[in-house]
Parts: sequence; C-alpha cells; structure tokens
Amino acid sequence: MQVLEVSQVSKSFGDVRAVQQVSFAVDKGEVFTIIGPNGAGKTTTLEMIEGLQRPDSGAITVLGMTWDRDADRIKMRIGVQPQASALFDLLTVEENLALFASFYDRHRPVAEIMELVNLTDHRGKRVKALSGGQKQRLAIGLGLINDPDIIFLDEPTTGLDPQARRNIWDIVLRLRGIGKTTVLTTHYMEEAEQLSDRVCIIDQGRIVAMDTPKALIGRLTREREIHLRFGADAEAAAAEGAVRTETNAARVERDGPHLRVRSRKPEATLHHLLGFASDGGWSIEQISIRELSLEDVFIAFTGKEWRD
Amino acid sequence: MAKSLKQLRMLFAAQIKETFRERQVWFWQILFPVLLLVIFMVIFGGGGGDFSAKVAIVGERSGVAAETFVASAEASGVLEVEKDLAPGEAKQRLKDNRLDAVIVLPGSGDTGEFRLLLNAERQSGSTAQAIGSIAGQLTAAANQAVTGSAPAFTLKTEYVSSGSRELEVADFLLSGMIALSIAQSGLFGMVGLVEMRRKGILKRLRMTPVNMRLFGIANMGVKFVLSVVQLALLAAIGILAFGAKPDFAPATFLLTFVVGTLAFTGLGYLTASVSKTLESYMGIANIASFVMMFLSGIFIDINVLPDWLKPVSKVLPLTYFAESVRGGMVYGSGLECG
Repeated sequence: MQVLEVSQVSKSFGDVRAVQQVSFAVDKGEVFTIIGPNGAGKTTTLEMIEGLQRPDSGAITVLGMTWDRDADRIKMRIGVQPQASALFDLLTVEENLALFASFYDRHRPVAEIMELVNLTDHRGKRVKALSGGQKQRLAIGLGLINDPDIIFLDEPTTGLDPQARRNIWDIVLRLRGIGKTTVLTTHYMEEAEQLSDRVCIIDQGRIVAMDTPKALIGRLTREREIHLRFGADAEAAAAEGAVRTETNAARVERDGPHLRVRSRKPEATLHHLLGFASDGGWSIEQISIRELSLEDVFIAFTGKEWRD
Repeated sequence: MAKSLKQLRMLFAAQIKETFRERQVWFWQILFPVLLLVIFMVIFGGGGGDFSAKVAIVGERSGVAAETFVASAEASGVLEVEKDLAPGEAKQRLKDNRLDAVIVLPGSGDTGEFRLLLNAERQSGSTAQAIGSIAGQLTAAANQAVTGSAPAFTLKTEYVSSGSRELEVADFLLSGMIALSIAQSGLFGMVGLVEMRRKGILKRLRMTPVNMRLFGIANMGVKFVLSVVQLALLAAIGILAFGAKPDFAPATFLLTFVVGTLAFTGLGYLTASVSKTLESYMGIANIASFVMMFLSGIFIDINVLPDWLKPVSKVLPLTYFAESVRGGMVYGSGLECG
C-alpha cells in the first residue's frame, strides 16, 4: 500500500533549479532514504512533502490526501524531525514532549516516547544541557509523539559522533521493527546502506538512481579491486609482470611494494597471484579485496567523486 | 473548545517557562529598570524633594528694593544666603562650585537690574533653573515693594502641577520609569521570538496542527505578566524607598496599561518581523528605545527640550504613553481627560 506519492515535482528558487521532475512512491512500513551531496535538493524535496513549501509543478499525495485540501489532517498523521533540531531550549525533555503532545487529537504517552528514544534518564533535564545526540533523539521523539503514519527524518545523524549516530540508527531500526514508514535523508552512504529498504540517489535536483541498496550495487560491473603489499619492491614488480597475463585482470597498477589489480573475477586472479607468490617464495604482507558500496554506485551513476 | 483551551494553557506555560528561565530576561527586563529607577531617583530625587541652594548676595544694599530682596530671600527658607562676601570672592566660590548662584544687587537708586550669576557648566541643571525662577519672583517682590503696591511678602517654593496634587520628582520619575520599562519590554521582548524563528521553532510548530493564533495569544499573555511584574516592583521601590505618593485613578491606569502594553508589544512584533537576524533586531530596538528614553519626557520634562527637538518628541509614542501613565497614577486623572 502506498502512503506517499510524489510525481513530477519541480521547484526553483530564482535561477536555481533545486528539484527537477522528481517522482517516487513510498510503501507502508518501508524505510525510504533520499541520499545525495549537500545542496542536491534533499531538504527541498522533503519540505515540499511536509507542506512547508509549494512545488512549482507536480503533485504530492500524503496518505491519500493533498496539502491544498487537507493540511490539518495531514499534519495530525505525520511526524517530522527537521534538520535544525528546533527545540524549546529552556524546557525539559518531558516538558517539550508534553507541549507537542497537546497539539494533537491523539498522542502516545510521553513516558513511552522517552523510553523509545532512550531519554527516560534525562527527562528532567533542560534541552540546553543535553548533548547533540540527545537533542537529536528528542527531536525524533517529538516527531513520534502523535504516533504518526509516516515519519520524516531530515539528516538525523549529521554532525554526530559515531556512537551517537549508532544510537539514532537503533531508533530507526526499532521504528522499522514496529512497521513505521520512515522517510530519511542523509549524506552518509553507509547509513543509507544499513538502514534503508530502498534508496533514492539524487544529485543536482534530479533522481540519479532508485532501488534497494543491494540491487543498486548489483547493477555495477562485477569488477573488484584487489590490493596486495609485498615484502620488497622487486617482488611486486615480478608479480605485476605475471598478473598482466591473467585474463580476468582489467587494470594493473604498482606503486613500490603495493600492487592494485582490478579484476572481473577476483577469486581467480587472486588464486593465480598466490600461485606465483608461493612458486617464487615471495612474501605477501597484506591482501584485501574492496567491497563495492553505494559510494561506488554514486560515482558510477554521476561520474563524480563522493564527498561526505 | 476544551482542546483549544488546553493548547493555550500549554503554550502559555511553555512560554512563561522559556521567559522566566532565561537569565537575560531577569537582568534586562526586571533588574535593569529597577537599577535605572534607583539611579535616577538618587540623582534627581535628592532626599525627599526638599530643595535648597546656597546663594551669595553681593553689591550695595541700599534702597527699599534691595532690602526687600535680601529679606525675602532669607525668609524664603529655600535659599541659604551669604550676605557679606566681596564680589570677587563670591565669583570665585561660584566657580569652585561652593556656591550655587551669586546675585548682584543693582547700584544705588531704586531702578536697575538684579544680576544673577550661575556656574556656566551647571546652567542646565535643575538647581540653576530653580534659582532662576526664585530670583525672578524675588525681583517681582522687590519691584512691588518699590511701587508700594504689594502686601507683606513671603516666598514658598511650590511646584504646582496641573493635576489634583503636586507632582514631585519621585512621582515624575516613577511614572516615567514604569512607562519606559513597559515600552522597553515590548520593544526588546521579542528577542525570544526572533531566536525561535532563527532556531526553526516557528517552522517546526507550523509542521504540527497547532493553532498559531493561540501561540501568538500566549506570547502576548507572557508580555502582560512581565509588565505586571515590572509595574509592581517599580511601584513598590518607588513608594517604599523613595517616598513617591502616587494618586491612582484605577480605570485610567488600567486602560493605559493594557493599551500601552499592546501597542509596544505590537511595535516589538513589527521590529521582529522586519529584522532577519538578532543583531539587526537589537540594533533597531536600541535606537528606538534610546531616542524615546530621552525625548519622551521620561527623565526630563519635554518642556525643557530645545524648540527644534520638540516636534520629534511629539511623534514618539512613548511621549503619550508616559503622559497617560502619569495621568493615571500621579494626577489621578479621570478617563475624560483623554
């Protein structure tokens, strides 16, 4: 069942075409991630879905309703964590939650939300005294207070340390566990890969690719990069000569004792190389095969370097 | 309806907490007006309002006019008169600030002029003005004595205001400070709102079904609470510590208070809505408040302003607000006085 449908949506700010012809649909219970570099149009897209901005053209349907006709009813049933965490700094965690709860016809108990976002121990603390990660969790909690059918998280982990980021991931996974539909934006590829059912990659306002993380990676060529470090430069040079005759090796590069081989069949190439090494009595100090990630997908689809 | 009331209550409580948990609010909106009041009371209020000045009368004391003048001055009770100084010595003491004024009597004969010498650096002070007017009255008395038309003469300094009772310095300052602090908190009180906009809280609220009108009403409610706190505190200090004796006209005062708070809060909202950053907001509010502080008759009566400045004070809203507050709490004016 589709809970969100975005079709042919465009938005410009002056000469800047922030979002162009974007279309996608999100199913109930799905974690859908919009990923792209800064300024790609993620937040603009999200704000149009949240009713904060009007698209120049195209249509958006949220839970079967449109912003023109049912703004208040949509607001009752969605939850939002905006990029700037927008909290009442001098109110406590509990006071913030209770205030937001009063805005809705129906809401979950404040204690339950505090439990869900792990803030029960800090319930009496003023927002000002919370850490960045705790603030972000509270912002997510405020988005969950009305037990929304869809929750929108706009870059929930940006600027957080790795541990705080893990905590947010746990919350998102917990939401997925209870069947909540989540629309997430991020510019961390790893996060998108870990959390999402489906990923939509956008760049310069356009959708570049959209599918499950696994399928997206699967669309890339099967080439993998093998990296070996030999005990001596001469050994690496000899191995370089030997591996060039191997049929699966697509590209070979050497830098001192380091040898990098891109291979269409990494296991065969590696077998070949190890054979030479044991025959010649060479020492290999390190071997690795780099896994492909969404980052490679981005590079492959946009031809651009990925910068976090 | 019940839901709206609950929302209003929650929004009001949240904003009250946000306001009173902020130390800046305590300092600028509560402590600062009190400090200003105390400072101005101490400077201008001068120990309960008894006026006295040290004056030397020099020159030839001959003739009815001169004798009448000196006698009246001594009898006035407000002037401490030195009669036996040489003119040069008197002028030196005036320069050294050991005297407030020197009055030079006219030469022999019954016509001529009394000359009043004041210290140039202090000519705009209230003491100088008072001595000027007293000397004027004394001169008039002397003239009457010469023409023989006047009855026995006594001088009593009384600053008679147009209201039901005297407007003393303490009352003048207290009512001015109350007007000023309500105006100030209206103008500056939107810092919180500008901050909320900057941090995206207003935007965040628009993503919820909350009625933003209720948010606005709650915000106004908080301003009223703050105004009442300021009012009570300033009035208590003015009355208990500085002997102000306000003559309340409750209806006038209440109306003035409500309209004034609304008007200046409105100005604050206007300022907040045209300024993008906190810095620009503070800049605009500061300029507005400084201009009004000095040109709206808060500390200084607007009648002593130079003529070219008077039109400016006539267009400042605080002039009228301060006038109404004085009407309501000092003169005991009824509403019909406008």
